[in-house]
Amino acid sequence: MSPLECAQFERMLEQQPDAPLSAGAVAHLEDCVDCQSLWSDMEAIRTAGMEWGSDEIEPPEYLWASLRRQLESEGLIRERTARRGWLLVWFGTAPRWAMAGASISLLLIAAMLAAYHVSEPKSAAVLPMRLSISAVRPQVAVADIGKALEGDVKDVFNSLPEGNPVLASSLRENLGIVDNLIAVCEESVREQPDDPISRDYLYGAYQQKAVLLATATDRSALEGQ
Amino acid sequence: MARTRPTEVRELGEAEAIRRAQQGDAEAFERLYRLHNRRVYALCLRMVGNTAEAEDLTQEAFLQLFRKIATFRGESAFSTWLHRLAVNVVLMRLRKKTLAETSLDEATEPDEDAGGPRKDIGGPDLRLSGSVDRVNLERAVEQLPPGYRSIFVLHDVQGYEHNEIAVIMNCSIGNSKSQLHKARMRLRELLQEFERSRAREERQAAKGGSSGGH
Repeated sequence: MSPLECAQFERMLEQQPDAPLSAGAVAHLEDCVDCQSLWSDMEAIRTAGMEWGSDEIEPPEYLWASLRRQLESEGLIRERTARRGWLLVWFGTAPRWAMAGASISLLLIAAMLAAYHVSEPKSAAVLPMRLSISAVRPQVAVADIGKALEGDVKDVFNSLPEGNPVLASSLRENLGIVDNLIAVCEESVREQPDDPISRDYLYGAYQQKAVLLATATDRSALEGQ
Repeated sequence: MARTRPTEVRELGEAEAIRRAQQGDAEAFERLYRLHNRRVYALCLRMVGNTAEAEDLTQEAFLQLFRKIATFRGESAFSTWLHRLAVNVVLMRLRKKTLAETSLDEATEPDEDAGGPRKDIGGPDLRLSGSVDRVNLERAVEQLPPGYRSIFVLHDVQGYEHNEIAVIMNCSIGNSKSQLHKARMRLRELLQEFERSRAREERQAAKGGSSGGH
């Protein structure tokens, strides 16, 4: 078979961009640097596209909350579920063991709060944050609280004793639950920025996270003694 | 941060989730969403190149899916049905934008005098060195006309066959192949331009560095 001309080679690529090269095309490539370059570049682009396609991208968590609200408003989600209210729906989807863990945490939190009235707290680093949320709540920007808490999460995890993975695991699980609640509340505030109830729910969620972090810090301080 | 997933939702199989979603079960809807949201979101993001729009399109695709889920009878794979639906949602949006902004011909075949695909073949100095940087590829894909971008993303990135693309985009198989080749040629030009810019900047930086030393 006689070698192709450059124009024929490119026409062949256009008509069959992914087909194996014919004998004529291979013979042409051996003699033509330009078409070698073209062929090599097409292959590189195709390979890069395939590699790119293997990446999965996680959409933001609030997308589901928003979608779910839309499904509820259209009545696509069963009424029995919709009537429970968004907070109960959210808690209803949590696994039982997680709920048990959360309940224990809440009991611990209540105990810790009661203890704060009669004794000095051990977590001096966390206490100002908790006070700042409840005392100056109306003035504090919501986004700032979220950022501040994210910074505190890192600090708390760094302060946990290395020999107690159970504490870290429990904290991670409970933070996951509270973060889901925060995501739902943040979405609600974004949609209704002037609704005081939505903002109160969000502040409440942030407060739960702050208290959870304070409890973990106290637990790790107690174990460190 | 790792988020916890409800145990019940995580363990529900797809077929069971479909059956329960057809009855309006909230957990089943969430299960189906969690199973497919990353691929659908990635598809939308790559086709429109804009996170806010991709989020909007992902939500729209799932909304349409859940509105129609009662009609799903399992003749085709659920994921195929969903992804075709998602592609249609994106293409509808792109068509609306294209109609508003430019003609269909311009959407896939830009004016060659205005920087569109050229027929000349690049010399050795323009070669992409056998590999393409991921960041540059994403930048280049963003700059493709919508028609080329759709074909490239569907075929080379998402792995659709030309016969599937022909059905989705309502064109012939030959047209799908031809458009794919032109899309790759345009990408090659864009990537070569990025390389030239980078080389120019490096030369200028070296020049500045050497003159600054005196």
